[in-house]
Amino acid sequence: MKLLAKYNRLTIFSAIIALLISSICYYFFIRYELILQLDRDLEIEELEIRDYVKLHDRLPNATSYKDQLISFAPATGEPVKRKFSSREVFSNTDNEWQPIREIVFPMQVNGQYYKIMISKSQRETNELIQLILLITSSIAIALLLVLFIINRFLFNKLWQPFNATLYQLKQFNLAGKKQLQLQETGIHEFAELNNAVTAMSSRVSLDYEALKSFTENASHEIQTPLAIIQTKIELLMQSDQLQEEQVRHIQSMQDACSRLSKLNQSLILLTKIDNQQFQEKDIINAGNILRHQLKNYEELVAAKKITVTTSIDNECTIAMNETMAEILFSNLVTNAIKHNLANGKIDIVLTPNNLVISNTGHPLKVNPAELFERFKKDDQDTISLGLGLSIVKKICEQNRFLATYNCNGEMHTIQVQF
Amino acid sequence: MKILIIEDEKALSESIVTYLRGEMYVCETAADFASALDKTESFDYDCILLDLMLPGGSGLEILKELKANNKLDGVLIISAKNSLDDKVAGLKLGADDYLSKPFHLSELSARVAAIIRRRNFEGNNCIYFREIIIDTRAKVITLNNEAVELTRKEYDLLLYLVSNKGRVISKNAIAEHLWGDDLEGNNDFIYTHIKNLRKKLIEAGVPDYIKSVYGMGYKFTDQ
Repeated sequence: MKLLAKYNRLTIFSAIIALLISSICYYFFIRYELILQLDRDLEIEELEIRDYVKLHDRLPNATSYKDQLISFAPATGEPVKRKFSSREVFSNTDNEWQPIREIVFPMQVNGQYYKIMISKSQRETNELIQLILLITSSIAIALLLVLFIINRFLFNKLWQPFNATLYQLKQFNLAGKKQLQLQETGIHEFAELNNAVTAMSSRVSLDYEALKSFTENASHEIQTPLAIIQTKIELLMQSDQLQEEQVRHIQSMQDACSRLSKLNQSLILLTKIDNQQFQEKDIINAGNILRHQLKNYEELVAAKKITVTTSIDNECTIAMNETMAEILFSNLVTNAIKHNLANGKIDIVLTPNNLVISNTGHPLKVNPAELFERFKKDDQDTISLGLGLSIVKKICEQNRFLATYNCNGEMHTIQVQF
Repeated sequence: MKILIIEDEKALSESIVTYLRGEMYVCETAADFASALDKTESFDYDCILLDLMLPGGSGLEILKELKANNKLDGVLIISAKNSLDDKVAGLKLGADDYLSKPFHLSELSARVAAIIRRRNFEGNNCIYFREIIIDTRAKVITLNNEAVELTRKEYDLLLYLVSNKGRVISKNAIAEHLWGDDLEGNNDFIYTHIKNLRKKLIEAGVPDYIKSVYGMGYKFTDQ
């Protein structure tokens, strides 16, 4: 739920409750006051009648004028108690029920008890109450509306610095080397947020840079000792007096050294791609590069007796770095050859914005979703490094291509959408 | 042929010297910037192996000095940095080739030979080995006075073997030389490839100079 919606809901809900309660109290208060007023008027009439009786020793005439009605009746049966009440009577003049307020009180005139009733129309009072209520509720609704609108505008305006910061954070890219550009804000909370975000991002950037340069330096520092080992092994190989066991040791050393140096080179390559050292873009013809890579590895294909079928669209041009394109296609092609079966198949389809490479191979043992991750390889025993596809993924990420893997029985398919 | 090895790692320059002396090159070494500059200024070399990161300065500065003095020495950069920028900068400054560490000595030797061949303007660009003539400019191979059709990779393989004649070359070195660095794993397919080349040589009446060295690789030799 959006903060604004939540806030609106809360404020408007509580405003409605408050208005409702206060309107009810207001209604009863006004009504009480107005009826009290009516009762006072009735009391004055009562007083007048008492005065009249005291003066003349008889009841005045029953009168009915305007909205006021006075009537007398001899009190019989139960004793009459003085009380006010509201009720409705049918008015012949208006031909409808009319609300009235009346006072009933007993009075002794010449030893005879009378029940005296004075009533006044309550209609005007009721109309007044209705009018007051109408005005109040209109004001309440107007108030709510204004509150809603103010919330909306004020909210967006007040939260603008927050939204700006959020946008910057979403754009933030560690590898991008671009610092956050947070705008100044006079609001303490947002200023504090911006400070925290800036501090955090620069700390993260520093850590990232440190880690990156560590990896880079470590990889480069490893190169020279590796070169020494590599060359010493080769010198050892030239010796004429090697025995079979020594040859085996040398071969193992040679293989290990070679793996280590390839691993290191792959890591350096990944770092380089991360560092965006392949920025220069050319318009490259993917078909030509792909054919070139296939030609380069034709001996490997032949050695495994793999059948390659291709459908290459010559019009497929991509704007990307040429070195990266070569690495991408070479990795995809060697991947399809390496993980293939003897007498297997490779199908390659290149269309202007799609490359699909399928190859036969053993069913996957790892989770296909993890296949593009570093050091994920299907068979932990193979000499393969498990970096080829993560390089593919990295290149695709940098160029905003989409690389997906699919497995259908023995056919493994990697698709790259340009 | 005189070669100067500018490399601060003693163990590495020692390996290079040992291997290249076997190819009948005269080798000298320099382990820091000052002595390197001193030697390059005082003498002429057929090829200089240049490490870029030296105590006392950058190898690129030595390269600049060489070019400023119009020296004709061939230069092969050997760098641990393996960075495209250095490679581009080095080649722009007039280096002949670039090799990143770690490398195979057989690869280094083949590259040095190629540089010297290219620098040798007066002579021809042919390599002779008994019945075999490799014309490196035209990329043509003549066996027993007859031009032989070889695939590009077979040509590269033969040239590589001849450049390292008498030496044991590992399968890894061959695979990397022919197919680049991005191959990993089993190099058994090299065997098929060698077999094809061997067949073509024998068909042309050339003795089988490619000897398999058990467990390690191959050796091109007439002994």
